Amino acid sequence: MSDRETVDFLGTVPLLEDQEERELVELARVMRRRTMQEGEILWSQGDDAREMVVIVDGAVSASLHLNGDRTVEIWAGGPREVVGEIALLDGEGHTMSVRVTETATVLALGRVEFAGLLARQDPSAFRLKRRLASLFATRLRKQLGHLADSLGGDVADPPAGDPARVFAELEYCGPPDSKYVRRMATFHEFDPLALWGFLTSGSYARCPPGRMLLAEGAPSTACYLTINGAVEKVLVRGDRRIRIGLAGPGKAFGYESLIDGRPSPLTAITRERALLLVLPWEPFEQLFNGEDAVSRVFLDVIQRDLVATLRQGLRQHARLVSSV
Amino acid sequence: MCRILAYLGEPLPVQTLLFETDNSLVRQSYSPRMMNTFLNLAGFGMKAWDPTSLRPEDPFTYRTTTLPSFDRNLRFLSAKLAPTCLIAHVRGVTYSDEAVVADTNLHPFHFAGARVVLAHNGHLRQFPRMRYALVEHVRPELAQRIEGTTDSEWIYALVLSQLDDPYGDPETRELADATAGALRILRKVRVAHGIDTSSPVNLFVSTGRAVVATRLSFDYGWYPPEDEMLETDLPFVSLWYAIGGEYAKRDGDWEMTAGDPPRSVIIASEPLTTDFSTWLEVPEYSMLTAELTPEGLEFETRDLDV
Repeated sequence: MSDRETVDFLGTVPLLEDQEERELVELARVMRRRTMQEGEILWSQGDDAREMVVIVDGAVSASLHLNGDRTVEIWAGGPREVVGEIALLDGEGHTMSVRVTETATVLALGRVEFAGLLARQDPSAFRLKRRLASLFATRLRKQLGHLADSLGGDVADPPAGDPARVFAELEYCGPPDSKYVRRMATFHEFDPLALWGFLTSGSYARCPPGRMLLAEGAPSTACYLTINGAVEKVLVRGDRRIRIGLAGPGKAFGYESLIDGRPSPLTAITRERALLLVLPWEPFEQLFNGEDAVSRVFLDVIQRDLVATLRQGLRQHARLVSSV
Repeated sequence: MCRILAYLGEPLPVQTLLFETDNSLVRQSYSPRMMNTFLNLAGFGMKAWDPTSLRPEDPFTYRTTTLPSFDRNLRFLSAKLAPTCLIAHVRGVTYSDEAVVADTNLHPFHFAGARVVLAHNGHLRQFPRMRYALVEHVRPELAQRIEGTTDSEWIYALVLSQLDDPYGDPETRELADATAGALRILRKVRVAHGIDTSSPVNLFVSTGRAVVATRLSFDYGWYPPEDEMLETDLPFVSLWYAIGGEYAKRDGDWEMTAGDPPRSVIIASEPLTTDFSTWLEVPEYSMLTAELTPEGLEFETRDLDV
């Protein structure tokens, strides 16, 4: 594969489809091409993340290791798909073991190079962050679909009425103490001015426990960030439910539908009384599509939450597959 | 923040759980991977039940205010004990002149003659405001036996008080109900006193035959201004478990083998290995119950709506 062919190929990779030619050229320069034989292991679950790979040809499968030497195949991937980026983003070990199932050529991108792409102060970094958010949202929907299937039954009809009513009925209030917000781990590393810009992008509202903010299958008209309290993200089928995650202080929820325009993939209900930052569609769009320091804060918050939710979903999968 | 561990299952050397794995309980005491804003310097305690010992219903007890990582006695003893049930606790306190490091404040709590022990990872914020309102919910003979200054010992007395016989050997279901009942009382007293800030109560309650564990925080996500525990409490206080056949070393790594039905479970503040891919996170707001039976380990997770 010549340099030109590599650049052309990278342009067809969904993760990189918004990148400009010169960015692809640079990327092609730093990526390492490898041919791997059937049965070779790219990495094992829990390994430190050193790289992600784009599959050029051939096939790989990703499996989850359960106790007692049991494994379950979670995903199979082929050309133009990307694997390994979750661990690069959150710095934890690889979520799954990845094995070559059909002799494959891959292009590997190292941790430092990947971090460098995302840290740039130019539009390409924002495009990549948005693309990652879209791909993760798609992946999350698939993962939630598998979990929902394991519950059996059908999703309950979403509550009737205007979806905008949910946040119209919230008890709006003033902003939280900025000193408290700055102590949240979520915001430690952000520039104070950019953080202030983000925190003043929406409105604040108090919610009692047990309040449904999002209904699976219904359109979502706002994204939320928990400042105080906690919100459960759940899948419900009849009297069975799986908790996908708990959005405590500093955690966002409700953004999936605003990213891809589809109905909410899960239900969100306040578990504790909560103080929420509410971002309806318009400020969400400005933050998501913006290219300034405030948008960077927002995109990073969304990205972290998506990554954490995808990891949480895998643990749920492990729980379902395990024999107990 | 304290670190806590429960084991129930096949006989297993205590030293494996306390010292041998790469994120063992004692290692967590000086190098926690989660909740690492506080060190755990206020002592160590454990209760270990060995069915082959004299009076097997009475646990072996070890408690010390010294640091477990430097405790040679603990190392020697843990190499000789292989219990079927262990509750171990490393106590953490805040750096404050109000903290009392004393033998009477060491977990697991265990009143003489009682069959139930309790260890706690967490803290009830503003406990001095509610302490004496708990008296009416604690049997007088149990209230008189509280020696220390911790919220945890009061929770212990409260749990015992919910049992038909505080000195009996309760069924697992009764123990779970007593634990949930005690938490409900705490919730009620907190409301009555206007206490509405985050207070984690990860409890381990055990008879040696059964373990009840909770992962709960009252008013999670709400903190008093300028609170020194804020960064520690912002994530939900962690709790993990590994369940299967037996905890064994395979290819150099410790892990739970497969078991159907399961025969052993470890529940701990953090996974005992840095590779936690075979550990499961205990869901927030939930209770685990595990009981040793002749057929294996009966294990259940349920939502804790108190």
